[in-house]
Amino acid sequence: MEFFANISLGLETALSPVNLLYCFFGVFVGTLVGVLPGLGALAAISMLFPMTFHLEPTTALIMLAGIYYGTAYGGSTASILLNIPGTTSSAVTCLDGYPMAQQGRAGVALAMTAVASFFGGVFGILVLSMFTPVVAAWALSFGPAEYFALMLLGLVAASAISDASLVKGLAMVVLGVLLATVGMDPQSGTARFTFGSLSVLDGLSISALAMGLFGVAEIIASIRNTETRRLDPKAISLRSLMPKRDDFNRSWLPMLRASTIGSLFGTLPGTGPTVAAFVSYGLEKRLSDEPEKFGKGAVEGVVAPESANNAADQTAFIPTLSLGIPGSATMALMIGALMVHGIHPGPNLVTQQPSLFWGLVMSFWIGNLLLVILNLPLIGLWVRLLSVPYHLLYPAILMFVCIGAYSVHYSAFDVLVVMGFGALGYAMRLFGMPAAPLLLGFVLGPLIEQHFRRAMVLARGDFSALIERPIAGSVLAVTGLVLVWSIWSGSKASARLKERRLRIEDED
Amino acid sequence: MKLMSMALAALALAGGTAFAQDFPNKPVTIIVPYSGGGSTDLVGRQLAHELQQIWGQPVIAENRTGAGSMIGTAHVAQSAPDGYTLLVNTPAVATAPAVQKDLPFDPKADITPIGMVATSPYMAVAGAAVQSTNFKDFITEAKDRRMFFATAGVGTSSHFTEELLIQQAGIEADIVHFSSGGDAQVNLMGGHADVYISNTASVMPYVNNGQVKALVVLGSERYDLLPDVEASAEAGVAGIDVNSWVGLFGPGGMDPALVDKINADLHTALASESFQKVLSDNFVLAGKDNATEFKAQVEAEMDLWKALAEERNIVAE
Repeated sequence: MEFFANISLGLETALSPVNLLYCFFGVFVGTLVGVLPGLGALAAISMLFPMTFHLEPTTALIMLAGIYYGTAYGGSTASILLNIPGTTSSAVTCLDGYPMAQQGRAGVALAMTAVASFFGGVFGILVLSMFTPVVAAWALSFGPAEYFALMLLGLVAASAISDASLVKGLAMVVLGVLLATVGMDPQSGTARFTFGSLSVLDGLSISALAMGLFGVAEIIASIRNTETRRLDPKAISLRSLMPKRDDFNRSWLPMLRASTIGSLFGTLPGTGPTVAAFVSYGLEKRLSDEPEKFGKGAVEGVVAPESANNAADQTAFIPTLSLGIPGSATMALMIGALMVHGIHPGPNLVTQQPSLFWGLVMSFWIGNLLLVILNLPLIGLWVRLLSVPYHLLYPAILMFVCIGAYSVHYSAFDVLVVMGFGALGYAMRLFGMPAAPLLLGFVLGPLIEQHFRRAMVLARGDFSALIERPIAGSVLAVTGLVLVWSIWSGSKASARLKERRLRIEDED
Repeated sequence: MKLMSMALAALALAGGTAFAQDFPNKPVTIIVPYSGGGSTDLVGRQLAHELQQIWGQPVIAENRTGAGSMIGTAHVAQSAPDGYTLLVNTPAVATAPAVQKDLPFDPKADITPIGMVATSPYMAVAGAAVQSTNFKDFITEAKDRRMFFATAGVGTSSHFTEELLIQQAGIEADIVHFSSGGDAQVNLMGGHADVYISNTASVMPYVNNGQVKALVVLGSERYDLLPDVEASAEAGVAGIDVNSWVGLFGPGGMDPALVDKINADLHTALASESFQKVLSDNFVLAGKDNATEFKAQVEAEMDLWKALAEERNIVAE
């Protein structure tokens, strides 16, 4: 009964006119910022942060949270339409979203993304509202050893993400890991590959890397395609936007699995939506009967990462609110908005501030609904964006990418990093090197290193202590199994291919 | 000749004073070298707000994060010393230079300490794996079972104060570096690491929520705002005489008259009711020093941490 009392209290708070207005404002700004490549939730929330001094803490948090999960909805739009991710966590969506758009199924991709995002969001909210205390306690039992094992599993599971040859994919993962070693060594403090520059002591900026590799490289590449793709705006009918029954049938299981993965990674501070999107994409590709369709416009490859990153965005509030531990810079700003008002989130927040907690949770429902309402009718508008001539669209995008890169640290150096990775990304395209594995290595490499080094310090250098820990040991065992299975299935597939070739030769 | 140079010096001083009285006649920027929402950011923003009321000019708080606060600090060190670019920073201004060899500025010559904004002692907190509830028992326990001290990163003040405590308490322990203070404390809660030291503003929220235990306050006396927590000297661990603080700085070579004016305005700001509330919310006391005293303290800490870094071989070569 108490649960229903909490829900009605939450609804009462979330539906008050002021909170409703700020919720709408938040998700609207979030969608907008998400659609624009380069600008992310962190930049938008930093800019609006001073506003929260003058708002009620609940209202402030409802608005900031709306921006946060709103960007996850908007982020996929540019991925699908332009092959340029709006946010880092929707970079994976490019892999199948853009091919779908090229096949004239942009509307379907956008609609399925909205459905998948809503599904993931709702799944995340359910986990948040039902299991917060349990999940928080469980997350505490994760030490460096467990994180290391989980991140390694993520890397192995997602390593087959690209379409290119295995060697090229692995080479790019390794390049990503190497690029991530730039900066201060996390355990000894030695400056690695910084060449005496203070700007890279914290490493290269991930958003600068993603924007350069995916965004700037795409723009350079399309300059060479002189024939502009002409799209007749009148050809976009509501019917062409509608997903077919087949799209839904193929999507619901991937959405369910991806939401589970997203909820898991969201709960663990420091991992987050980007890792979740990569891992769920990798998993769907492995589980699929037709893995060869991935990268060529498979709807599963769009819905999986989008469900995962939206679920992760919602469950990221579990450690933030119930432990007071921010998992990312954006979450630290949310805690800051509460601290301004003298509220320190922790295990007692749910009992001491029930209207804040339940009001926020209920505002997530409302916000997600608003986002679907906001996004579905807008699909036609976004698709029309494709009919804007590229010589007008691309300079504008380039400008936003530069503003976005600069705004994170007020650093002109980061703009140069974007340009450098733009050049690298273009060179990689010329040589047929996939960009997604590089980003994967860049995201997971440092996490694996940090947690492994910490785990080794805590185990006093004894590797067997790491395996003896029940969670870490089992996850490492699963990792081993996945590795063996992928080698076995890979060799079986190539054997089948050889057999088929031989048979064709015989028939000749 | 001598008279002439004295006259010139007097003129320069008078000119400087006139300049200081005129200050500020355009917007002032306060650089916060940490990300938004943290405890230093909150104090810095409150300071910007109060100084804006006093000066009648916009005062903008700007977050320039990175490299353990050294990105923002370097930016201020390289700005014009006219008082229009200021910096709030913590003892990181003294600890980071002790581990970072490639700074593009001289931490003593290129930074002018203006005044202390707030101060509080350092506090050690213990996690789920620690049995002891007082410091004396803890030392015995630590001699029995080698403990893990969690830091907020290499070269942070938590790292240095932990090295200092380990040295002065005569125990043997392992240091493990985490990516932030929050990360370190969540590992305390899970029992993966044992002790973390930071300022009261960073640890008290978790202590009040019962997530970590307050073990000891570093120093010779108990802290006025938390009289129930014993001081390290009470358990016989002497020689620790450092406090955490948030200070206001400017670029090197500022006119002393201007420094004194800003220091005086800082104290006016600190006296306001709204600022007092922010300070007590964060378990810190307002600073009282004049600029000369603060400068002496900052430079003494720079020497202390540099010596400790060499003595305990803190940075791998």
